[in-house]
Amino acid sequence: MSEGILAALVLLLLFVFLGAGIWVAFSLLLVGGVAMLLFTDAPVGQVLATTLWGHANSWALAALPLFIWMGEILFRSKLSDDLFEGLAPWLGRLPGRLLHVNVFGCGLFAAVSGSSAATAATVGKLSVPELTRRGYPERMVLGTLAGSATLGLLIPPSIILIVYGVATEQSIARLFMAGVLPGLMLVALFAGYVVVWSLLNPAAVPNEGEALPLRERLHRSRRLIPVLLLILGVIGSIYTGIASPTDAAAVGVALALVLAWHSGSLDRHTFAEGLMGATRTSCMIAFILAGAAFLTVAMGFTGIPRMLATWIGAFELSTLSLLLALTAFFIVMGCFLDGISVVVLTASVIMPLVNDAGIDPLWFGIYLVIVVEMSQITPPVGFNLFVLQSLTGRDILVVSRAALPFFALMLLALVLIIQVPGIVTFLPGRM
Amino acid sequence: MRRLLDGLYAASGALAAAFVLAIAVLVMAQVTLNVVDRAATLVTGTAIGLTIPSYSDFTGFFLAAASFLALAHTLRRGDHIRVTLVTGRLPARTRRAVEVLAVGVALVVTVLLAWYVGDLVLESHEYGDMSSGMVAVPIWIPQLFVAIGTIVLAVALADELVGLLRGRTPSWEAAGDPTTPSGEDR
Repeated sequence: MSEGILAALVLLLLFVFLGAGIWVAFSLLLVGGVAMLLFTDAPVGQVLATTLWGHANSWALAALPLFIWMGEILFRSKLSDDLFEGLAPWLGRLPGRLLHVNVFGCGLFAAVSGSSAATAATVGKLSVPELTRRGYPERMVLGTLAGSATLGLLIPPSIILIVYGVATEQSIARLFMAGVLPGLMLVALFAGYVVVWSLLNPAAVPNEGEALPLRERLHRSRRLIPVLLLILGVIGSIYTGIASPTDAAAVGVALALVLAWHSGSLDRHTFAEGLMGATRTSCMIAFILAGAAFLTVAMGFTGIPRMLATWIGAFELSTLSLLLALTAFFIVMGCFLDGISVVVLTASVIMPLVNDAGIDPLWFGIYLVIVVEMSQITPPVGFNLFVLQSLTGRDILVVSRAALPFFALMLLALVLIIQVPGIVTFLPGRM
Repeated sequence: MRRLLDGLYAASGALAAAFVLAIAVLVMAQVTLNVVDRAATLVTGTAIGLTIPSYSDFTGFFLAAASFLALAHTLRRGDHIRVTLVTGRLPARTRRAVEVLAVGVALVVTVLLAWYVGDLVLESHEYGDMSSGMVAVPIWIPQLFVAIGTIVLAVALADELVGLLRGRTPSWEAAGDPTTPSGEDR
C-alpha cells in the first residue's frame, strides 16, 4: 500500500472516531497513536507522556482558565443589565433603535469575554425578553444576537485565539491585537446592516423615540464605566506591553471580582460556581490541546502534512484560490465540528501548507477565527444556535435562518481582510 | 462504594479548582510586585527588582495539575466535547452499544496514558530531574498530579462502563443541560 493511501486512511479513521461519539481529545490521541505505530518505530508511550507533560505545563496557556473564569464571573454579575441600561439611551435615534443593543452589547462584552456562547447568553439574557416585549421583529432580534455574539471569539480576549496561538506557537499578545480592528469592522458591518434593514422596513421597528436630554443620557450610561475600565485595563496593558496575556487575565479576574462584589452579585455560591465552571471548561480545552499536541508530533513522524502541502502545492493555486478552497473546506468542517477542534486540526495538519503558500500565520489565525465564527451560526452544529435555542425556545432552524444575513456579512469581512490584510496586521505591527 | 467514588471525583475536581485559584493569586501577586517596582523606579530612579522566584514555572505546574485533576469531574458533568450528530440519531439500543464502545475505547486510552505518565514520574524520580528555574523543584512532584488525574479519569471511565453495562444512564446524560454558558464554543 502506498504511503499516500495509508495517510488518507489515517485521516479517515479520525472522522470515524469522531463520528462514533468518541470524545474529541480521545479521538486525537487515538489517531496520533495509530499513525505513530503505522509509520515509525518511535516509542509511542514515551513520546505520548513527554508531549502531554510538556504541553500541559505552560505559562502562556495559563491565560486560558483565567480568561474563562473572568467571563464566568461577569456572566453571573449584573453586567447584562448594565449593558442594556447604559447603551439604550444612545440608540433611540439610530434607525433600528434598540436592535443595536445586541450589536454593541455583544461588542462590549466580547472585549471582556473570550467566548461567543458566553457573549450570547449574557447579552441575550436581558435583551431578548426586553426587545420582544417592546415589539421588535423576532427575526432581527435573534439574527443580531446570534451574529454579534460570535464577536466573542474575535475581539480580545479570545479563548480560540489562545488555542490557535498555543497550537501554532504564535504570540498570543500579537494575535489578540490582530483581532481588534477586524472585530470593530464586523461591529460596523452588523450595525450598518441593521440601519439599512430598518430604513427599508420602517414599519417593522417600534417607534419609541424616548428623547432624553444629554445630561440624563450621560447619567444613565455611568453604568458602563466599570466595564469600560475593565476593557481598557486588560487590552491596554497587553497592547502597551506592560503585561503578558496571562498577567492581564489575572488582573481581569481580580477586577471582575471587584465589579461583581460591588454590584452585590458575588457570594460564596456564585464564586464557587464560576470557579468550578471555569475549571471544567479550561480542563476540556487543555485536554484537547494536549491531544492535538500529540497528534501534531505523530503527524510530523508520518509526513502527512508535508505530503498534503506538496500535493496541493503541485496545483500551483494562487493564494486567493487556495484561500477560497480552504474557506469552503472549513465551512463544511464547521458544520460538524466545534471551533476548537477545527483550529487544532488545522494546526496539526494544514499549517505546513499555509506556510508554504507564504501566508502570514498571524493573519491566517484571524482569518480562521472569522471562519469559525461563521460556523457558530450554521446548522446542524453551531454553538450559538444552541444557546439561542435554549434562551428563546425557538427551533434551531428558525434561529439559523434569522442569522443568515450575518453569515453573509462575515463572508464579506473575509473578502475585506483578504483584499486589505492591513486591517489585521496594522495594530500588531505597531507593538 | 458509590459514595467513595463520587467523593474521589469531587475531591479531585475541587483540588483542580484550588490550583486555578492558586494561578490567579500567584500571577496577581507578581503583577502587584511589578506595579510596586515601577512606582519605586519613578520615585528613586532604580528598580528594586521584586519578583516571585520561578513564578512562571509554578504557574505552568499549577495549570498542568488543574487540567488533569479536573478530567474526571469534567467528564461526569458532560463538559468534554464530542460529536453527537450521528450517535444522537441512532435507535436507542444501537446508541447504547456505540456508547459502550466509545467509553471502552476511552478507558483503554486512559489506562495506557496513566501507565506511561506513571512511568514518566518514576523515571523523573529515579534520575532526580529538577525544574530549571531559580527555585529548582524535583520535577516528579508536579508530574505526580498529572498521573493522579489520569488515574482518577480511568477509574471514572471504568465506573461509567460498569454502569452502562448494568443499564444505568451515563452521568454526562444525567447532568443534562448541555448549554451551560461557560467558556467554550462547542
